[in-house]
Amino acid sequence: MSRPAALLREPAHQVSPRAVQMWRVIAVAELAATVVVLVVIAVLLPSRPWWLWVAYAVVLTPLAAIAIWMPGLRNRIHRWEVTPGAVYTRSGWVVTRQRIAPLSRVQTVDTRRGAIMRLFGLSAITVTTASAAGAITIEGLDQDVARRVVAELTEITAASEGDAT
Amino acid sequence: MSEWQRLDRRTMLVGPLKTLRQILVPALAALIGVGTQQPRWLLFAAPVVLVGAVGIGVLPWVTTRFRIAGDQLVVTRGLLNKTRLTAPLDRIRSVDLEAPLLHRALGIQKVEVGTGVDDTRIELDSLSTAQAEQLRNLLLTRAAVTPDPADDADVDTEPAPRSPDLARFRGSWVRFAPFSLGRLVIALGALGGLSQFVGDVGIDFSVDQEDVQRIESALLLVVVVLLVGGLVVWTLLSMAAYAVQWWGLRLFREEGNLRLTRGLFTTASTTIEEARVRGVQLRETALLRAVGGAELHTLVTGLDEGVYAVLPPCPTSETRRVGDDVLGDPAPLRTPLTKHGARARRRCHLRGVRLLLPAVVVALVPAVFFSVTPVLPVLVTLAVLLVGIALGEAEYRHLGHALTADHLVVGSGVTSRVRTVLERGGVIGWVVSQTWFQRRRGLATLVATTAAGAERITVRDVPLDRAITFADAVVPGMLEPFLVSSPPATAPAGT
Repeated sequence: MSRPAALLREPAHQVSPRAVQMWRVIAVAELAATVVVLVVIAVLLPSRPWWLWVAYAVVLTPLAAIAIWMPGLRNRIHRWEVTPGAVYTRSGWVVTRQRIAPLSRVQTVDTRRGAIMRLFGLSAITVTTASAAGAITIEGLDQDVARRVVAELTEITAASEGDAT
Repeated sequence: MSEWQRLDRRTMLVGPLKTLRQILVPALAALIGVGTQQPRWLLFAAPVVLVGAVGIGVLPWVTTRFRIAGDQLVVTRGLLNKTRLTAPLDRIRSVDLEAPLLHRALGIQKVEVGTGVDDTRIELDSLSTAQAEQLRNLLLTRAAVTPDPADDADVDTEPAPRSPDLARFRGSWVRFAPFSLGRLVIALGALGGLSQFVGDVGIDFSVDQEDVQRIESALLLVVVVLLVGGLVVWTLLSMAAYAVQWWGLRLFREEGNLRLTRGLFTTASTTIEEARVRGVQLRETALLRAVGGAELHTLVTGLDEGVYAVLPPCPTSETRRVGDDVLGDPAPLRTPLTKHGARARRRCHLRGVRLLLPAVVVALVPAVFFSVTPVLPVLVTLAVLLVGIALGEAEYRHLGHALTADHLVVGSGVTSRVRTVLERGGVIGWVVSQTWFQRRRGLATLVATTAAGAERITVRDVPLDRAITFADAVVPGMLEPFLVSSPPATAPAGT
């Protein structure tokens, strides 16, 4: 323990710029949908007391804030890196998590492409280990990057031996 | 054991006896009820019941067969729907023996084979005690060494050499039973059922107004009697349950396995491959700690449950001794823990108060809506602050981390004091998480992911640089490529 105090550096790569677009589109869509619902309610109500608007503000302000700031914030925080020895990611925006799993302990490598992700040409890679707490997801990857990373990961993990516990 | 084998013949008695025990009372009632009116009916009914019971008993015996073929355990069962289970011997993780009272009287035991890979456990109900023991030894030794097809079965039938016991049940341990509240919930449930029953009896509580005073003192008496009685009943019941579960406990090593046998009526034997034990957890709940007791669990990989109790609540010195023996190193359970510092302490206090905050809200409700004088909310707030800070302080005292030659040690718990010890090699990854508040204070929660136990070991609220240094020291090399030396001041890292 005589080593000097150390910190983790940032993972090397950022997510795809299209991921930021996707987060923004989703956040704006959520905001718009909520506005529509609230407007419909306001129209249908017989009377509109002052506190209704307060309640609306309480609901809408955080959603608007998320739509404005979240994509940029996430873009700065979300990062990933795959070395020959390990997977390292940083994610989250309210709670940030830096996750590291050595590739010798990796059990499965999954790719996921949801409907919206496909629209933006994105993929997510999930790497699981023998621990339920150890799964690592790299989100917002370009599809070709994802394909290359998966190939790399499967090649390295196939070479390691033992049951990874 | 390479030929097909059947279950023990005595198994045929178990099924019918069990069935009979279940239907005995209703059957008797029915038979007597029917019999008194129509004796001829009875004559037909009795053989049907008998034949049915015998059939239930004979069927599993006829249909179940097992053998060890090459390096696999094969079990076939079923009459119409035949199932055939095979388990490669090197996948067998555990072989548990269990004998409920009836089985014990008949001299037979249930064998449960766990493969760890999935949840299916192969159950053989039942073999003779000798046969079960022999199968257990065979399966576990074959699982441990490379299977050799030429190996003759009777080489393995010798009982395995036993180490001196790691632990043995002592009658005096029963004194700890009332202090572990795990069973209290069940007991209270039973009590609830009882009170309902009392309600059904229909005691009339309506009283004359004249002797209110006498009733008041009587009520006080009733409350005292109920409390004392409840305590006495709880003490007796918990002690009885403890004795039934743990009587005759022996923990010993056997060919690279930890083996635990216990039970007053139902005897159970659990075997854990020692190579799968990655660490231990010493738990001292508040009540147990007050009387110098603790519980010891092992953290195991590759079994359905990762946390196995190896000792009942018993003296702390005993749990330490056994823990040391299992870990093979006395340091982890004794080493002092590194504290997390003033910032962590403040967060503990805040958490304690936040936990109790709902009480303040509840107390505010009457003050706001019924304009009562705000004495109650003020009192409650004071109490919440005091209790919350006390809870936080307790949590902070239990918080800590340390590193020994082969293990990482983590302290946690609010009212309980929990010390978790994990082999360094059992760490299979790290998660450093920071909430917004933690980022502002330069703290982080470090999670060591592992395949053993609860699959995660959490070090809460450590200063970030110390968290990283600790993680790096636990598994040298894993974090190496991602490290930078920290700037002189503790910068709020992350964003």
